[in-house]
Amino acid sequence: MNSRLTLSTILGAGILAAAAIGVGSAAAHHAFSAEFDGKSPVLLRGKVTKVEWINPHAWVHLNAAGPDGKVEEWMVEGGTPNTLLRAGVDKNTLKVGTEIIVRGYQSKDKACTPVCKANGRDVTFPDGRKVFMGSSGTGAPKDGSDPGDKQ
Amino acid sequence: MIREALVWLQTSLGKGTGDTAQSWSEALLGSLNFWGLLEGTHLITLVLFAGTIFVVDLRLLGLTFRKTPVSVVSDKILPLTVAGFVILIATGLALFFAKPLVYYHNIWFRAKLVFLVLAMLNIVIFHTRVQNNQAAWDTLELPPRGARIAAMLSLLSWLLVIAMGRFIPYNWFDCGKPIPHIVNVMQDCKTSEQGAVDKEDMAKLGVAKQGGQAR
Repeated sequence: MNSRLTLSTILGAGILAAAAIGVGSAAAHHAFSAEFDGKSPVLLRGKVTKVEWINPHAWVHLNAAGPDGKVEEWMVEGGTPNTLLRAGVDKNTLKVGTEIIVRGYQSKDKACTPVCKANGRDVTFPDGRKVFMGSSGTGAPKDGSDPGDKQ
Repeated sequence: MIREALVWLQTSLGKGTGDTAQSWSEALLGSLNFWGLLEGTHLITLVLFAGTIFVVDLRLLGLTFRKTPVSVVSDKILPLTVAGFVILIATGLALFFAKPLVYYHNIWFRAKLVFLVLAMLNIVIFHTRVQNNQAAWDTLELPPRGARIAAMLSLLSWLLVIAMGRFIPYNWFDCGKPIPHIVNVMQDCKTSEQGAVDKEDMAKLGVAKQGGQAR
């Protein structure tokens, strides 16, 4: 009886721990560090050329100057269309031609082949509105852009 | 041939008229809730499927439920496995339908299909050959070598199917990126929209390029 109790306690604790971890990473489709470099922040300012409203990550394309000052096409990974909609980013606010400023982190390979890639953290609209555009709990640097981050 | 069919599936099927018209595939990929529901169901059902098939495999290996006849274990458990499999195939097909070209040119997806076929072949061989004399070893704690090999192959191939599936979302080998020539060939990047860029070629050019840019 005693050993059975212990076993169910361990099992229960395990399930709770798993649930706690699961809640934290529910939005994480894959880890930030697998593709992006937390030590390579980028600040991109430019006009939106295309937005792919797709799952599991929306992609915002814009022409912007990278860290080396050269203007190139960038594609910036955001959250799911659903996450973005709830954050206040949708097809009406983020249109082709909108001038935006995106803070994010460049891809690890920095190859810019076929285009430069970055993970988006927040986006600033022409009216000054600043919105978190990423996914929570992916292991991205805690830079204050994610309102869901616990300090 | 296959690719053309997938292009049609992704971009044409169900597409209406008008500037914002989307094909069914595009609508599913851009959906606010449905795609996530499919992916979630696929992954949660995987737990049911793999968890139950592993119990049967472990019994065949003589590692669990040794005192219970194999037939009792499999009769109780395999219906759950089959239910899981049906849901996995249905949600898997729907997820494939959302971006057929991405998966077509994805090395992990291709590897997953190979191991899936191997796993299914193993099932067929198990049912048609190994199980022929099951009455003779049904109650043995340690089933004969043939049954144990089949169980081992089952465990291995399903674990590989799962592992390959898990790697699909990672972009390390996306077409259009400088990747090894062999990978470009294996996922047929040449016909993809992003094209094929051989890492070997880039490395030759890269020496001069890297020297000129201070990054």
